[in-house]
Amino acid sequence: MGGAEESKSASAESFCPSDAEIQKWMGAAFDVAKDALENGEVPVGCLMVYKDEVVAKGRNEVNETKNATRHAELVALDQLRDWCRRNDLDVTHVCKQTALYVTVEPCIMCAAALCLFNIPVVVYGCRNERFGGCGSVLEVSSAHLPQTGTTFKCVSGHRAEEAVEMLKTFYKQENPNAPKPKTRKE
Amino acid sequence: MEPQTKRWKGLEYDTDSWVVYPVLSDEQSQDVELIEAYAAPILNKKETSRLVRELNSFFPLNGHQHIKRVRACKEKGTPHPLDILVCLTSDAPDMKVVGLNSLLPSDRVKHDGLGEPFLVKIPARPPLTRPQFELASKHWPTSFHEDKQMTVALKGELFSPPEKAAMHMYMRSAVTAAKAAKDRGMEAVGAVVVNPVTEEVIAVGHDCRHDHPLHHAVMVCIDLVARSQGGGCYTFDSHPACQLIPPTSGTHHNEPDAEKSSQPYICTGYDLYVTREPCVMCAMALVHSRIGRVFYGITSADGALGTKFKVHSQKDLNHHFEVYKGILSKQCEGLNASSDRIQSKCLEER
Repeated sequence: MGGAEESKSASAESFCPSDAEIQKWMGAAFDVAKDALENGEVPVGCLMVYKDEVVAKGRNEVNETKNATRHAELVALDQLRDWCRRNDLDVTHVCKQTALYVTVEPCIMCAAALCLFNIPVVVYGCRNERFGGCGSVLEVSSAHLPQTGTTFKCVSGHRAEEAVEMLKTFYKQENPNAPKPKTRKE
Repeated sequence: MEPQTKRWKGLEYDTDSWVVYPVLSDEQSQDVELIEAYAAPILNKKETSRLVRELNSFFPLNGHQHIKRVRACKEKGTPHPLDILVCLTSDAPDMKVVGLNSLLPSDRVKHDGLGEPFLVKIPARPPLTRPQFELASKHWPTSFHEDKQMTVALKGELFSPPEKAAMHMYMRSAVTAAKAAKDRGMEAVGAVVVNPVTEEVIAVGHDCRHDHPLHHAVMVCIDLVARSQGGGCYTFDSHPACQLIPPTSGTHHNEPDAEKSSQPYICTGYDLYVTREPCVMCAMALVHSRIGRVFYGITSADGALGTKFKVHSQKDLNHHFEVYKGILSKQCEGLNASSDRIQSKCLEER
């Protein structure tokens, strides 16, 4: 890791996506969320952008993995690690200059995971009234948790209504993986 | 070496060496909040029931039904035996001088038998636990609908000796997993998922954050449980102490119908034993996984089941669960100490 790398990560505090970037990358995040909706998963889509390059894309994979922690953000963080490995880059250094774009406010668990990965900026669409970890239910994003990584900055509200509408569409459907009611078919 | 091993074994079977306490919500564990009110001495005891009736209709204690209207004056030597609560200061009219005349229109509440009002502090909310009730009652008599189980739990006496022995055994597996992690240069945290109905261990895991920053012991266990249900997305094969425990045949076959109709769904109904309090990520992962109960050994600095947050009782979340701490606390504490310290402590104790 050279000195140039160091000085860039030091400027991470002022690192903030422009309106044009938000427009562009949130559009892509919405495409991922639509894909999730078509596949019977909670319609949340996200991508992680490092130096104007998409290094990870994630959508909810809870139902297919039967693991309730497979939210879009955690799926994307795994991809980011793979991308760093393939490109022989240090994960911590990359994370410090990576922004997360996600259609819905990260939940409490994902907010903590983003802290643990030292992601500095999160751009999200709508609030997450049920589980939100950036202020809606708990404020993890700015909490003083020295054992749980660093805080991150939030930029919210881009295409919020659209993100809410997608969630409403999903929750109107039945969750095929929830326990069946007592009466059994067959 | 040998005497040390013996000593640890001796400790491990001693269920009296640790006490389980519930980790309560803020509402259940907070101090008693007080609000101001006016009370007045009852100078003539015979007027009491009339005063209660008239005051109840003129100044009803809406939203404060836990407050008793009348209290006995404890101090001997007071000329009057009873005080009556007139009203909350927030319900009182604006007045230059506090007095019966400005507080109570005598056509609605006859002043007969009533002395001059004075300020008191009364509990703002109904007490939820016996400790809260005892504190509240010091200020003003308060009614209390006791949750007997809670009172027993707060004394650390909720679980019977056989239940404690089972908890002891499960937490010991978690401690063993934590030690295995420590031996491999990883964080010494272990966790075990148990089905309390069949009393079977489903998964054992330890902290793997050196491999992956999010692979805390709890996250490892959650993925192992997913694997037991035909899902899962990681392999922990390189860590032999992280494993799925195959179900023993027999127990299930007794009730084939029951088994068929209740396919396990994520961690619903399962118990988690973990050597130290989970962080906020793990705590919320347990909410998403619908865990039944969580038992931990010791608290942690950023812990989210009692220390920094109380995710298990967080309002607005769609799933809540009981949390208990203190299980095998000494052994769990020992995991964090350096090995030399444990050794020197053992020598001292001998």
